[in-house]
Amino acid sequence: MRVLISGFGTVGQGFAEVVASRQDFFRERYGKEVRIVCAMDSKTYASDPDGLDPLELVSVKNTAGRVGRNTYEDSVKVMDSVDYDLLVEVSPTDVLTGGVGLTNIVHALECGKDVITVNKGPLALKFPELIGLARKNRCKFRFEGSVGGAMPIINLCHENLMGERIKSIRGIFNGTCNYILSKMDSGQPFEQALREAQQMGYAESDPANDIEGYDAACKVVILANSVFGRNVTFSDVNVTGISSITSEAVALAAANNMVIRLIGEVSDSKLEVSPRLIPKGHPLGISGTLNAAQILSDLAGPIAITGRGAGRKETASAILSDLIAIMDARK
Amino acid sequence: MLVNAELYVKDLPGQLVGSLEPISMVNGNIVGVVHNRDRIINHRICVNVTFEVDNNDDLEKLKNVWKARDVLIDSIGSVYKTASMEYLLLGLFNASYVEELIEKAAETVPFESVDVSYSTANHTKTRTAMITVEVLNEDDLDKLNLILEESCREEGIVYIRGL
Ligand SMILES: NC(=O)c1ccc[n+]([C@@H]2O[C@H](COP(=O)([O-])OP(=O)(O)OC[C@H]3O[C@@H](n4cnc5c(N)ncnc54)[C@H](OP(=O)(O)O)[C@@H]3O)[C@@H](O)[C@H]2O)c1
Repeated sequence: MRVLISGFGTVGQGFAEVVASRQDFFRERYGKEVRIVCAMDSKTYASDPDGLDPLELVSVKNTAGRVGRNTYEDSVKVMDSVDYDLLVEVSPTDVLTGGVGLTNIVHALECGKDVITVNKGPLALKFPELIGLARKNRCKFRFEGSVGGAMPIINLCHENLMGERIKSIRGIFNGTCNYILSKMDSGQPFEQALREAQQMGYAESDPANDIEGYDAACKVVILANSVFGRNVTFSDVNVTGISSITSEAVALAAANNMVIRLIGEVSDSKLEVSPRLIPKGHPLGISGTLNAAQILSDLAGPIAITGRGAGRKETASAILSDLIAIMDARK
Repeated sequence: MLVNAELYVKDLPGQLVGSLEPISMVNGNIVGVVHNRDRIINHRICVNVTFEVDNNDDLEKLKNVWKARDVLIDSIGSVYKTASMEYLLLGLFNASYVEELIEKAAETVPFESVDVSYSTANHTKTRTAMITVEVLNEDDLDKLNLILEESCREEGIVYIRGL
């Protein structure tokens, strides 16, 4: 399996490290290794048809600040210059235009390549088009890590719960908001909790994407399209963030044995991200940066899952699960 | 909705199962079954079944299947079960706003009970109110959600509801 990685930041590097650490597994299961034949960051790329050393790539990126010696302007030209089977698209999320991620994914699918992505932008904006393109060109297109990081939700619904009629999914899909709300449970005011989240590296310097609920809204769109077969986009989500939650509100909820959490809800008729009152002890009342979801299906009833919603290794783990599924299918 | 039905089924093998099976056919959930073997009329046994169905349409479908299967429905009625919800309102409002809001909602949704508590902290101008309501069913909750959401949006009040 020849892999081209587009984006070599936290997730791209985490994935390269996971590939290096799982070569024995690939050899044993498939009788061959996974070769990274090209890696691109924003300006440079490295490529080798025989495979690049994943750990060397990470080391070069961290010491030189670039992944390769070759510079480029057009990612599509780079992709066309390489023989690869699978694109791992992990460039930055752009929910307004889909960004370079959308261009790269479309190009790979048009060329009949399989694609794994955790980039929410293209999925939240152009899901039906991308699925259609993948079907037309008989490509595998997987995106488990785009919702809930290491928490297996999309593949769980598609594979393990295949025969179920899923009625609704409600969940905590943004670890930063959950961290802030958990700190507010302990008495910290919103502004302080946000600043702490930024200092801990959980929140960006411009935190709007998280605290206004836009990041969670992207994930709700991905679930609506992929699990419920809906045809919705980011602007269809009814979004309320957490920036207006006061300490008094949190205290009044606590006095009634409840917590406030930012919940994404999706069903055949609902598409919403908003703060909700959750009884203490409920599976969605968790604290810290964890993500959680409750899937309600007709036969199995409620199923609750929880896991790390982000992180270098955690997100790479989701990409690994997609990679194995594709390699199994292509065996 | 939770429903209790008293049925008379023929005292023949397979008839009892045949009377319960349609409940699953309309995605219902059986909560309890009692066979009253001491109540036999015209070779039919009395079966009392309590079950949950999603809505009236499903209940009507179920009644039709029972009729088609020659299951006699002696009595049928919904069992008293309420739905409750909590709402948190944050913003610039006073107690009379909340009272009027509840009165307005009560014109559409009959309440079983309503309880309002306010945050005691009053160092800020904004108020926080927790409203806990109990209504007859989930449909009434949906109506109530819409009324509160719309009014809060118009007044610029943050509205948080339970699950
Ligand atoms: N971090 C997580 O835990 C997590 C979890 C789930 C999903 N995701 C998603 O995964 C993606 C990557 O996240 P990240 O945390 O790894 O971001 P990151 O650390 O900022 O890395 C982004 C990488 O993409 C590269 N890049 C920027 N523009 C590019 C372009 N035009 N073509 C190719 N590469 C380009 C950057 O290059 P330079 O190095 O030259 O700047 C960098 O290497 C995002 O879409 C994010 O939403 C992340």
